[in-house]
Amino acid sequence: MATVEERVKAVTGQLLGIDPATIKNEDKFTIDLGAESIQSIELVAMFEEEFGIEMEEEAALAVDSIGKAVDFITKVCKDQGVDV
Amino acid sequence: MPTTKQYQPLTSGQIDALESNGCLAEDWSRVQVATDFRADRVRRVQFIGDIRLGTFNGLVPNDSGPPKLAGIYDAVLANCTIGDNGRIANIGSHIANYTIRDRVSIEGVGIMETNPGARFGNGIEVQAVNEGGGREVILLNDLSAQLAYLQCLVRWRPTMTHRLATLVKQAAESARKDTGTVGSGARISSVARIVNVEISDAANIQGASALEDGTILSCPEAATFIGPGVVAEHFILAEGATLSDGAIVRQSFVGQGCQIGKQFSAEGSLFFANCEGFHGEACSVFAGPYTVTHHKSTLLIAGLFSFYNAGSGTNQSNHMYKLGPVHEGKLERGCKTGSFSYMMWPCRVGPFSVVLGKHTRTFDTRDFPFSHIEAKSDGRCEMVPGMYLSTVGTVRDGAKWPARDRRRGPVRRDIIDFDVFSPLTVGRMLRGSEILRNLMETTDRSKQFVMIHGAEVRRVLLRTGIKYYRGGIEMYLQERLVSRIEIARRNGMNDLAKSLAIAPDAVFSEEWIDLAGQMMPQSRFDLLADRIESGEIDSIDRLQLELGRIHAAYLEDEWAWVVWAYRKHFGKEIPMMTADDVKAAAESWRDVRTKFLKLILGDANREFDELTRTGFGVNPSSNELTADFTAVRGTFEDNPFVQKIQREIEEIAQRAAAFS
Repeated sequence: MATVEERVKAVTGQLLGIDPATIKNEDKFTIDLGAESIQSIELVAMFEEEFGIEMEEEAALAVDSIGKAVDFITKVCKDQGVDV
Repeated sequence: MPTTKQYQPLTSGQIDALESNGCLAEDWSRVQVATDFRADRVRRVQFIGDIRLGTFNGLVPNDSGPPKLAGIYDAVLANCTIGDNGRIANIGSHIANYTIRDRVSIEGVGIMETNPGARFGNGIEVQAVNEGGGREVILLNDLSAQLAYLQCLVRWRPTMTHRLATLVKQAAESARKDTGTVGSGARISSVARIVNVEISDAANIQGASALEDGTILSCPEAATFIGPGVVAEHFILAEGATLSDGAIVRQSFVGQGCQIGKQFSAEGSLFFANCEGFHGEACSVFAGPYTVTHHKSTLLIAGLFSFYNAGSGTNQSNHMYKLGPVHEGKLERGCKTGSFSYMMWPCRVGPFSVVLGKHTRTFDTRDFPFSHIEAKSDGRCEMVPGMYLSTVGTVRDGAKWPARDRRRGPVRRDIIDFDVFSPLTVGRMLRGSEILRNLMETTDRSKQFVMIHGAEVRRVLLRTGIKYYRGGIEMYLQERLVSRIEIARRNGMNDLAKSLAIAPDAVFSEEWIDLAGQMMPQSRFDLLADRIESGEIDSIDRLQLELGRIHAAYLEDEWAWVVWAYRKHFGKEIPMMTADDVKAAAESWRDVRTKFLKLILGDANREFDELTRTGFGVNPSSNELTADFTAVRGTFEDNPFVQKIQREIEEIAQRAAAFS
């Protein structure tokens, strides 16, 4: 099974049209990966579907990098009892 | 007010004095003067027909220099009555058929005349919303946004439309006169041509090119201004409006507190309270209150707007070289269009939405308020439902409109309900949520997008939209509940059941409508239309009175809707609520509202983030860039709007605690 990091990069790459292999943990969604505000919302929705979780909008939109997204989603999965 | 001043024939001594001052008369016996008339203040004037002159003493204020002597100098007057203590000077051709009240200054005017049967813009038919016709609005001095809406947009009730048109035409006909009026204290200078224009008190007309067939409503509290280079034909300009800097206005109504200027041109258009139009163009536009277009290359055409902001280069098209310019569009209240956005009519955009890009396909998003609607490069229209519910711009807009009401006179014709969250918008959220839920439940996960009336929604955002709308619905309903009890308590009403009861005369409709700024239950509107059709409402004054009564009932009608919506959404009967129920609702409201405001703060904070700082300063180092940005933009913590939201979060906790 793919790791949270691999799945986060796969979803991000799919939405933003980027090869997931080129995405680094320190990449920031807006400055480095070019995500617009709409795409930030779409990413949150896609992560929710990918992991079967529901994220707090305010906290989720404050996450600004791939690495932080991995940590955040891992925690939400744990809180909501989702195995990853 | 009509003068009651007494006039008398000239004495021979007065005639001699006037003649020695270079004055001539067609017939001196037709010239009458006030008892205290001063002939020394009338020089080089020709009198034609029936003339009545007041007295001229003292000085008249002058906008562009020292005050000047009251009196009449270098003019031809034909069939005019001139009030006291004004100044008429340097009239190029003549002033004919005017009653000019006290303290009026008219200087450097070419021609100023009223022709027999002039209607002063009243009765002109404006092809609003549909350039091809069929939605004509008849101009009237008393035109309000609501009266125009009823004339224009209820064509499915032809009897009502016909009866209303009859009432408006009757009222318009009463404006018809052979003699125009210039109201007390009006100032007119350097105008080439004024024909068939009624001018009210305190109006200020400076340097206009040509004004024809119009009324300039004005009063001392809300003086109306017409500035340099303006051309206006077949028009009515309401109190406190400004028309300046080369604006061209034809067959149009410019409402109270509007500002039109900087070469803006308008044809067949209606602008209601506090609209602003600069640089661009409007054609067959129904601009409800607070419609704003400030930029060049912006064309608004054949559309209904209100509380609207047009980005630069915004435009629409209303035909496709088929049956003529017959398409029309509706942007419901609170919409914005981004720079160079384009919409091919017909389209309908739900309230408080933002439209970006070039839309060459039509869409209808009425059930999805607060949405982001963007045309993609491949021509698709993509929508993010409810995205602007919790953005900082929406909240700022809601606060700024009432604060920017420029109407100052004793009469405010347009009825404006400012609420961003209302049965209108929340009702749409309820309906939109149902549509999104149905789609979410029936759409296969393999599908990336779903189509809703021409707008595509990314499938994963169906749930996001429902979540956004749920937050908005719950925040609104609980907020209204809390406010209702707070108001009752302030009024000494501590009986919970009575506080929560629906008023016996409140009217409920699931559906609410927006009459160009005034929101009301559908059944109130239906009854109003019935009463127009039956003839019970038999005058425009009566209609405005009824609209005022509906406005006065807004809060109680809204409460009836809230009770219904609360039951629908939460499954709870408000009138049966106990103190514990209310306490729980107040705590829930506190949490939802606080979360909402924190989202607003988060959105505001993005205005201060690293990406936003990019581009500030000229090649600064990292530290300098931050310092430069902060010097210009300030900090998040110091921002007044941010501080206001933070204070509200604190107040919410206190308000909720009061229910414990």
